[in-house]
Amino acid sequence: MPNYRFFPGCLLAASLVSPAAWADVRISDAYARAVPPGQAISAAFMTLHNAADQAVKLVKAQTPSAESVELHQNSQQDGVMQMRRADRIEIPATSDYVLAPGADHLMLIGLKQPLNSGDRIELELTFSDGQQVHFELPVRSPMQAQDGPHHPDTDPAAGHHHNTDADSAAGHHHQH
Amino acid sequence: MNSNLRTLRILLLMSALLLAGLATAILLRPAPSGPVQSMRLGGDFRLMSANGPVTLEELRGHPTVLYFGYASCPDVCPTSLAVMAQGFRRLSEDQQDQVRGIFISVDPQRDTPESLAAYTAFFHPRLLGLTGTAEELDQVTKRYGAYYRIMPQPDSALGYTVDHTSRLYLIDAAGQLSEVLSDAITPDELASKLKDLL
Repeated sequence: MPNYRFFPGCLLAASLVSPAAWADVRISDAYARAVPPGQAISAAFMTLHNAADQAVKLVKAQTPSAESVELHQNSQQDGVMQMRRADRIEIPATSDYVLAPGADHLMLIGLKQPLNSGDRIELELTFSDGQQVHFELPVRSPMQAQDGPHHPDTDPAAGHHHNTDADSAAGHHHQH
Repeated sequence: MNSNLRTLRILLLMSALLLAGLATAILLRPAPSGPVQSMRLGGDFRLMSANGPVTLEELRGHPTVLYFGYASCPDVCPTSLAVMAQGFRRLSEDQQDQVRGIFISVDPQRDTPESLAAYTAFFHPRLLGLTGTAEELDQVTKRYGAYYRIMPQPDSALGYTVDHTSRLYLIDAAGQLSEVLSDAITPDELASKLKDLL
């Protein structure tokens, strides 16, 4: 009678060493923007680093703090700022994809809670290979970005002012 | 030797004629069409705030920074208003009392004067939010050389976005448009320009 006791273990081991077809995405310098009370839309910025030797696509984003999250790309045409939704974006192998003010960003639409400087929210990103990255990011005032780390008068509404938010999200990587 | 001199003389003559021709062309060029005023940007407006109508006339005596945008804009507008607010904060208390910020929303469908009051207060107490009808907004944006367009976005939960130019309009205490600034200006640079107008 074959011993099936080791079967689940073998299956797990096999899945872990299956051909390196999935990418490995790391998130750093992530933050969401504080918005005035009553506003339903904000943005999140971060650097996504694809450490694998294959390209991967960001296909979905969600947060419990908003109805939906969409990737939007900024472009300028004859001095006119335009923002358009991108369904998915491909991150080349061993490359960074930077979401930053004035450039591409994740738009948080239909906020379910106020976003105040100092808050933290959760975000989950899904990639084309099924990988999901779940992490927390701080909320920062847009005025903070104008002042650099050691300027005396930053956003007076901030209360405690944390200047050294170098959040790097190892997150939870769920391979499916 | 003689032929060289002659060649030189001919070339000098041709150059002189060329220069004369150019000078004539410049002097005789057509004048720009339309009255000179139409080439000057800026001018009065009358738009709605949470406390009633506001005109540029009422801002006389106050150097003003003006920005066109909309409150649901998550990126460019908060950045630009943050520059404005932090530029104000580089000034002394007295100076901050003298300057004014104006945020004109080109999205009256979502932004009311009341919601704009809450929006602008987030950035700086001297920032005032205004909006109006589409016709009034078309008129004032055109006056300032600004541009906006409502863009339906059927594939987005946003419903629509607003394409727009992103500039800070610096208006002096006499109500004249002094300078059109890039939104990439730093708070220090903006404060310096405001000090010049105070």
